[in-house]
Amino acid sequence: MSHHHISQKLRKQVIKLKRHRYHILQHKIREKHNVSRGTVFYMKEYGPHSHVSSVIIKESFKMLVLAALLTSLGGLGIQGIKQNLILILPLLIILPALNAMVGNIGTVVSSKFTTALYLGKIRGSALSSPHIKELFLTSLVIAILSAIYISSLSYGLAILKGFEFSAPLFLKIISITLISTLLLVFLIFGISVFLGLKIYRAQEDPNNFLIPITTSVADLGSMLVFSLLVLLLL
Amino acid sequence: MFNKDFKEILGIQIVSMTGGLFAGFLLAFITNKLEVIPGLLLLLPGFLEIRGSISGSLSARISSALFLKVLKPTISKQKILYGNITAAVVLGIILSLILGVVAFLLSFLVFQINYPNIILMSLIAGVLATIIEIPLTLSATFWLFRRGHDPNNIMGPYITTIGDIVSVCSLMLAIVIL
Repeated sequence: MSHHHISQKLRKQVIKLKRHRYHILQHKIREKHNVSRGTVFYMKEYGPHSHVSSVIIKESFKMLVLAALLTSLGGLGIQGIKQNLILILPLLIILPALNAMVGNIGTVVSSKFTTALYLGKIRGSALSSPHIKELFLTSLVIAILSAIYISSLSYGLAILKGFEFSAPLFLKIISITLISTLLLVFLIFGISVFLGLKIYRAQEDPNNFLIPITTSVADLGSMLVFSLLVLLLL
Repeated sequence: MFNKDFKEILGIQIVSMTGGLFAGFLLAFITNKLEVIPGLLLLLPGFLEIRGSISGSLSARISSALFLKVLKPTISKQKILYGNITAAVVLGIILSLILGVVAFLLSFLVFQINYPNIILMSLIAGVLATIIEIPLTLSATFWLFRRGHDPNNIMGPYITTIGDIVSVCSLMLAIVIL
């Protein structure tokens, strides 16, 4: 029997394979050029025959518009506590830093998760992966330290601008920032892992979707939770 | 847990938050404008967010391309690089316009404030911020990669730091222009 002939059983198994998951050509391209699966995927998106800017705009635009709309809704919350922000100066000073902090955590978690996917570090269940567990723990500890840091420094800066020190108010501001941050870390992580895997498995680049989604959810969430806590506690 | 990644992320997070606090401190100097210009507080979070998202995605794409060795870490004539820059500029301008329109509509519908100038303010600030932020994002990503760092750990926070300060300054400049 020639080596070109394969058994019926093997033939049936080959026919059952889902071609879109791993096309035979991908294997040949990887072998010929000695490149990783991630590189083949990246070149499918941004290779010689694709219009790079059109692909990015097409894939990012809807997400960014959604992000703009979501965050503007968060802006409504801020507009709603306008008087508190103008009267209690530390709250105004902390806003961009809080925004940046939760956005940063969203960006780091999303981009590290995406790179880990590209490099094949996540196999099987993402939540049981040691790489993901470590990323979660790191994000959580950094978030707690960051919340304490921005609360203290915003109050210090407000004092420089003539705002009077009050211990109960200071403690309330730390509590508001900590609660907002912790809630948001859980949310960001859940979204990154769930959507990141979904987008990657749909053969698209998660970099174009995940960061706008996580950062806008983080911003919307932090602005709304922050506004709500300001109304409740102050 | 307290490894190189932790130290890199925490270090740059502190730098980023300090930048954010500086931007907030700048805001404290224009509390009178925040009171007078309708919709400015409504526009602000969205404006900061979109700037961060565009530059953050740009840096993440460039980082992936660098790790996969399909892009050289230099600002030179490379198709992937030019495509990324074009996309970031186009998205930056269109999204600023959309944000302005949304801020105007929300102010009008929710607070019954009719202030169409907020659209122009957002557009001018968006153009100014795009011109400054994109070269900073690219040069920092390449520089970090060449020095053996993972740009993914550092660029997000770096972008938000620079982005927040540049965005607040662009908005202040747009207020002055108008």
